[in-house]
Amino acid sequence: MMSAPQSQSTDAGGWQRGGAQAVRRRLVERFVSLLCNMATVVVLFVLFSILWTLITRGAGGLSLPTFLHSTAAPGSGGGLANAIIGSCEQTGLAALIGTPIGMMAGIYLSEFGQDGRIVSLVRFVSDMLLSVPSILVGLFIYLIIVEPAGHFSGMAGTLALAVLFIPIVVRTTEDMLRLVPRAMREAAYALGAPGWRVILNVCLRSARGGIMTGILLALARISGETAPLLFTSLGNLNWSTNLNAPMASLPVTIYQYAGSAYDDWVQMAWTGALLITVAVLATNILARWWLTRNGSAQQ
Amino acid sequence: MNKIIMDDTIGRDTVLPALAIRNLNFWYGSNHALKDISLDFPIHQVTGMIGPSGCGKSTLLRILNRMYDLYPGQRATGEVLFDGRNILSPGLDVNVLRSRIGMVFQKPTPFPMSIYDNIAFGVRLHERLSRADMDQRVEGVLRRVALWNEVKDRLNASAAALSGGQQQRLCIARTIATRPEVILLDEPTSALDPISTARIEELLDELKQEFSIAIVTHNLQQAARCADRVAFFYMGELVEVDTADKMFTAPHAKRTQDYITGRFG
Repeated sequence: MMSAPQSQSTDAGGWQRGGAQAVRRRLVERFVSLLCNMATVVVLFVLFSILWTLITRGAGGLSLPTFLHSTAAPGSGGGLANAIIGSCEQTGLAALIGTPIGMMAGIYLSEFGQDGRIVSLVRFVSDMLLSVPSILVGLFIYLIIVEPAGHFSGMAGTLALAVLFIPIVVRTTEDMLRLVPRAMREAAYALGAPGWRVILNVCLRSARGGIMTGILLALARISGETAPLLFTSLGNLNWSTNLNAPMASLPVTIYQYAGSAYDDWVQMAWTGALLITVAVLATNILARWWLTRNGSAQQ
Repeated sequence: MNKIIMDDTIGRDTVLPALAIRNLNFWYGSNHALKDISLDFPIHQVTGMIGPSGCGKSTLLRILNRMYDLYPGQRATGEVLFDGRNILSPGLDVNVLRSRIGMVFQKPTPFPMSIYDNIAFGVRLHERLSRADMDQRVEGVLRRVALWNEVKDRLNASAAALSGGQQQRLCIARTIATRPEVILLDEPTSALDPISTARIEELLDELKQEFSIAIVTHNLQQAARCADRVAFFYMGELVEVDTADKMFTAPHAKRTQDYITGRFG
């Protein structure tokens, strides 16, 4: 006849070990995971309802003329071409200016940080810039460029965006370089490599995925900025790629159109919003893809 | 209390030292980490350095290629003679020194580039080779470390995809590719499995035909298996240095005996 295995210790409670306390622990566990799941649902709901609203309202304006025609008076069938090219030009140039400056400052903070005072000053200023309201950056550029020049310009808008762009790149470059293992640096030095080669060929290479992600995230951030452009590039009703003249951009156009009384302008505002969101989303996905691809290539 | 132990095993064998340390002292800030060390590393021999954690053996190794230069507040006095010069002298070109005295680290540290470029990187720093010569150099060192057959079809693949043991052999290949005279190894097998460890130990035996080797190890069996001569360090002092046979069978100092029989450390 088979007998059930006997518990070895009789005084610790067997499967009833812990008693009421164990029951309470399980209840708390369930409650907390329920809260976490609910929070996730709330966040996802907000995100998808924004996307859904944008798609349903904005998709109506997605047609060829939107991409080919510049903004025009209400009722005359204008598009967003000038705003799209203006946004691309200003954010693209801001990234071109901001990437080398931001990366070099980040390299300085991480690699040449021998003198503690200068480094902490630079880092402090960069972190301040990271959290300055973007409208202040617009005002700043207005004061030092637009007012002396006497007119709004695409260049001023570009510089305002670059000021917002740089501190993000500084921070990610420094953080990513600090993640490079000390042993890898030492191994490069141990081969007789001078410092600049160690940084360029080994450290930056090892950190490139993270730095690339930072650049793309910064690009996503500035492509939606409206406030710094209001006082700098202003906007332009016509097609213009001249950096020395006022320039249109998607966020400013949305700002102007969304509050108007004309149905076709409001429609264009929704479409512009959809375009920015899709571009930012694509950039973010690209950034994540970069990070995982690079992460898996390294370990 | 401790008089300097003069290294007289060298004179007997009439083997010239590749590196000769004389009255070396080292400080991490105010911490006196190495005290009056004098030690020779004979040519074409494996010199093992053993001792409990914090005894200064890794510190000593990192002096020999001036790795401590990278960190402020670290200071060495005394002499380390290599090819007629004191390598501690300030005017010395450390990049040339490091190409002549290579180093392999505890954890494999492949660079984030292809297997081929991991080796070519160090060579390009010091020599300008044609593509064909570089191919030959890469193949040669990969054969030396018995990695060629495993990687010859994927030289352009990322080095990070190799196993830990393969990565460490790649790091050794990378080090010998710059044609150093001395190779320093800092616990090169402590992150590896027993099979990979055995392969590296075999490799050391073969490499000493061409290079002089200094190896720091926590593994006493490894020191006994690989090293021709063994130096025992304790609290920043060189307690004893002798042939591996004598060290592990008839050590002079009580502290050495206590350590190798496992009474501390």
